[in-house]
Amino acid sequence: MLFTTFNFLGFLVVVLTLFYILPRPLRRYLLLAASLFFYMAWKARFVTLILGLITIDYFAALWIVHKEGRRRRVALLVSLCANIGLLGYFKYTNFLRDTILTILHPGTAVQPLDIILPLGISFHTFQSISYVIDVYRGEQPAIKSYIDYALFVAFFPQLVAGPIVRAKEFFADYFNWRPPTGDEWQRGFAMILTGYVKKLIFADQFAMVADRYYSNPLAMPGVLPAWSATVAFALQIFFDFSGYTDIAIGVALLFGFHFPENFRRPYLSASVTEFWRRWHMTLSGWLRDYVYISLGGNRHGKVRTYANLMMTMLIGGLWHGASWNFVIWGGYQGAALAIERVVWGREEKQGLVRIPLTVLTLAIVCVGWVFFRAKTFAAAAFVIGQMFSKTAGESLLSTTQVVLILATLAVALAEEYQGALTRLTASPLWIRTAATVVALLAIELFTASDQSIPFVYFQF
Amino acid sequence: MTELKRAIGGLTPQERRDLLTWLAEQDRPVQTPRPVVSLQSAVIGTLLMVIAYVAAAGFLFHSGWYNKYLEPNSAAGEVEYNQFWLRRMLPPKVPDVLVVGDSRIGEGMSATDASTAVGGKVHFTQMGMPGSAPRIWYYALRDMEKDRNRFSAIVIALDRYSDLDGEDMQDRRADMNYLAGRLALRDCWDFAHSFLIPELRRSILTGCVFRGIVFRQDVMEFLSNIHRRLERTKDWRNNGAGYIAGYGGKPETLTGLSFDPATRTIHFPPGAKDWQIDSARATLTPDPAPQNGLNTAYRRRWLGAILDLYKDSKTRIVFFQLPNAPLPLPDSPVPARFLQSVASRPNITVLPVDTFREFQRPELFADGLHLNQYGRKPFSEKLARAIAPLMEPSNVEPQ
Repeated sequence: MLFTTFNFLGFLVVVLTLFYILPRPLRRYLLLAASLFFYMAWKARFVTLILGLITIDYFAALWIVHKEGRRRRVALLVSLCANIGLLGYFKYTNFLRDTILTILHPGTAVQPLDIILPLGISFHTFQSISYVIDVYRGEQPAIKSYIDYALFVAFFPQLVAGPIVRAKEFFADYFNWRPPTGDEWQRGFAMILTGYVKKLIFADQFAMVADRYYSNPLAMPGVLPAWSATVAFALQIFFDFSGYTDIAIGVALLFGFHFPENFRRPYLSASVTEFWRRWHMTLSGWLRDYVYISLGGNRHGKVRTYANLMMTMLIGGLWHGASWNFVIWGGYQGAALAIERVVWGREEKQGLVRIPLTVLTLAIVCVGWVFFRAKTFAAAAFVIGQMFSKTAGESLLSTTQVVLILATLAVALAEEYQGALTRLTASPLWIRTAATVVALLAIELFTASDQSIPFVYFQF
Repeated sequence: MTELKRAIGGLTPQERRDLLTWLAEQDRPVQTPRPVVSLQSAVIGTLLMVIAYVAAAGFLFHSGWYNKYLEPNSAAGEVEYNQFWLRRMLPPKVPDVLVVGDSRIGEGMSATDASTAVGGKVHFTQMGMPGSAPRIWYYALRDMEKDRNRFSAIVIALDRYSDLDGEDMQDRRADMNYLAGRLALRDCWDFAHSFLIPELRRSILTGCVFRGIVFRQDVMEFLSNIHRRLERTKDWRNNGAGYIAGYGGKPETLTGLSFDPATRTIHFPPGAKDWQIDSARATLTPDPAPQNGLNTAYRRRWLGAILDLYKDSKTRIVFFQLPNAPLPLPDSPVPARFLQSVASRPNITVLPVDTFREFQRPELFADGLHLNQYGRKPFSEKLARAIAPLMEPSNVEPQ
């Protein structure tokens, strides 16, 4: 059930109404049933997979708390193996098989196995892993109720594409639940609306440009096609993913849950380090806490720090997709982070120098997106070659799309330095009503595609 | 105080600067916190916002306001401007006959020539909307005159008297575009359910309720040059009917066209243009369509609905088969059962199938479908002469 369908809106209205009508003790059952229904609307049979993982992690955490020494470690290992094993099977089997067979029999076309990637598996396994590790580290008590824990993993707003919510964040709201305040309700509604505008108007608009180019880059050689299509993809993936998480955060807020922020205007970053503090923040935080720090972080000298950064980003790249392009993308990001740390340290630049640095960072990020979007390494290499070639070509962006980009920049700057959107959310009712009417009419009129384009991050 | 001074003295310059900044911040006037909004009023506020949107969208797209600014050449524009002109036109003193059809009526029928052919004793009006079909005609006729007494006859031009299935008419998505300015919210459910494919039904229902989705392209073009659109729509409203009345038809012909049905070979005249060749080929050698009775069901439903509109009125409904190809084609082996079943009803006339077959000549056709300027006049005259006798008092059946 995509967030952008009327089915979802109907589902949300029904669940929200029932949630506030039902007596409080029954609400958790309602939310869990609704979440499983939401998941099963995609493919019912995979509900056994998510319930199986929930069961393993639930008992593993209880075992960790109640046992000592080696047994605790065994429970942790069982949980990690189950999560990483299933994620690995569904996501990386074909990738590994293809790689091995290509090495053993070069030149032979490898037919992929028919393995369907369960919806949102990358997100809910990371959420489960963080819970079990936190319990192991003593930072999170084991949850005693199976229903409570199942709801943490399966809660529908974040189930399929995040944000990756930590157990302590979720249960802080859950065990001290109170209805949202009026301000929170307004903010939630505004975030849902913003998410729809981002996804339906902006993301799908830029998706058309990126899809056109990346379906056959060879047909459109030149600097301008390559950069315009890649910038279009950069905007598509931002609006798509941040739009999705805005809707997820907004929906959660209507139920009284406070999900963490996931994007903070990442393309205004003046360094790659800053970019990763603003882009997919819950994943960055997860990788930092459970990979980078586990590898030793910056505690073992500079060389080890750089190696840890590289390893973390390689894993981050692989998390995004099972192909060598994603590995390269991860390595590229890791290298950029390491080089930046060598050259500038960790200081964030302030003042006017941010302007050229922001442009430079955007260019570095865009070059990375080429590996993310291109179907093959050869295609990515071709596009990057075109980005720095001498042939000009023609931009693929229409005047409307350029206007959209400039409008986006203006809104992002206004939000960054004036908190414009935040202030709009807190403005008088008539202003919010006018903004809502304009936003809804814009969605009705300017949705880019009649065919629903799925959220990009669903594939991860 | 002394301890404080000592403590400050021990600070580094950077720490002193930070301290000064912090102190300056403390000196700023404290903003009065905004009054807290209760959950109840926030929910009511949200509902109000949604209601405001529904009202705005309703005013823009469901009240008929935007219909005035539709691009005249758009599908919805065709329907709406015809509605506008017909409502504005004063009823004539003689019997008024409305000829309804698709582009073949638009191209091949001149209301002026028809009226002149019968000495002005009957007034003809044509509503030939390119690409239109019975479902569209039904909604257009329904809203054109509420009392059903304006016209003495509604003449409906059919492609063929046949139940053979051809183009899938049931699931023509484009019908939504034609009727975007016409359908009321209460029509949406029935209209959407007149489509067969479930996904299409959902899509049509969505478009019918959220009409901006259907108007999207038109609004985008409107916004891209508002002044031009305003000028154009004003001109079309005031003069469009005159432009259509003055249209003389296409000058091209297919003289020299021949077709061998046995070998399905078409010989085109030298110099024939691509659009002529394509349309002649589609007409003379159509792709075989699955015969599942959908055409019959479609005609029964929508032509039947038109008949129901006029069942208690004095308006006569006349069906005729268009000159439908640039060459004489054999009659369909599958007759139209619906037409057979209604032909004997009072106030319904089904003209003989071959009434206009004489016009199926390449020199009278511009392409595979449409009469040209040489066919337009004689066809209009003959149509008028076929209809006029039905308008004489002796042929008007008592109610």
